[in-house]
Amino acid sequence: MKTYIKILLGVVLFIALAGIVVGIHFFRMPHKDLGKAKPDFIITAVDLQKAFEDNENAATAKYVKKILEIEGEVESVKTGEANVLNVSIKSGSDLSSVICTFVPATDPAKFTSGSRVTVRGECSGFLMDVLMNNCVLVK
Amino acid sequence: MKRIVILFATSFLFLAANGQKFMTKNGYIGFFSHTPMEDIKGDNNQVAAVLDIPTGEMVFQVLIKSFHFEKALMEEHFNENYMESDKFPKSTFRGKITNLSSVDFSKPGKYDVTVEGDLNMHDVTNKISVKGTIEVVQGGLNASSKFNIVPEDYKIAIPGVVRDNIAKNLEVTVTIKCAPVESK
Repeated sequence: MKTYIKILLGVVLFIALAGIVVGIHFFRMPHKDLGKAKPDFIITAVDLQKAFEDNENAATAKYVKKILEIEGEVESVKTGEANVLNVSIKSGSDLSSVICTFVPATDPAKFTSGSRVTVRGECSGFLMDVLMNNCVLVK
Repeated sequence: MKRIVILFATSFLFLAANGQKFMTKNGYIGFFSHTPMEDIKGDNNQVAAVLDIPTGEMVFQVLIKSFHFEKALMEEHFNENYMESDKFPKSTFRGKITNLSSVDFSKPGKYDVTVEGDLNMHDVTNKISVKGTIEVVQGGLNASSKFNIVPEDYKIAIPGVVRDNIAKNLEVTVTIKCAPVESK
């Protein structure tokens, strides 16, 4: 076999293998570890809720699917299906808050109603409250 | 979108005027797809629901982007290719218990119910009828249901190459724990 065909075959094989490896990598890729990720915005829970209340479309365009680091006062702590932890952070409104759903195995004992926390998570949008997912406790 | 929120809030106020109502903002809706190729599970723990006792009416609402998957790529496909959650960010169910008289809300216990109503998602509304249970407990109401939906009924297009990876019938599980709403 001519040398250049061998090289060509080698290159093709390498690209194919690389493709498979990259494909598997992307397919199995876990979610971003928000414990290490740099936040796109740092904002208080009060300001975040107000931004959605005032102009939902603008706030959606700005914050949804972004990593936010929010600071505020814990309103309530709830564990739901499969012990998933939901923590509500107070906003300026009585009817609406920022609800943070934490990554599995987050200890609910770290949250007490009335204490101030900083949480990093991905904003999913606004229902009756601002919803955050994939959250981790920063402090 | 604001309109949906207002609709939800006003139905909530309307229910409030009628008598005892129960609600949660931390309910669960999940779906499960099983095929020989793979199992896919999506979980949403941010379900808002309101139940009105005298009338048996209920409203459920979720953000599509709050569904969480084991793999990041599944979540991306779900949002971008199938549910188009940028265009249709919310899903709503409004329904009513059809056998209300068989539930004694003053007596703790589990009751079988049938709920009929309109399920809206991906900009398509279908009438559905599902079976579930309501459990009257101290200081609240728990409700659960399991039913099947067909993605194509909601104009969710699944390309031929991956059609065998996603079940024809998705099993939907709903569990909520509602607390009474105090009138202010």
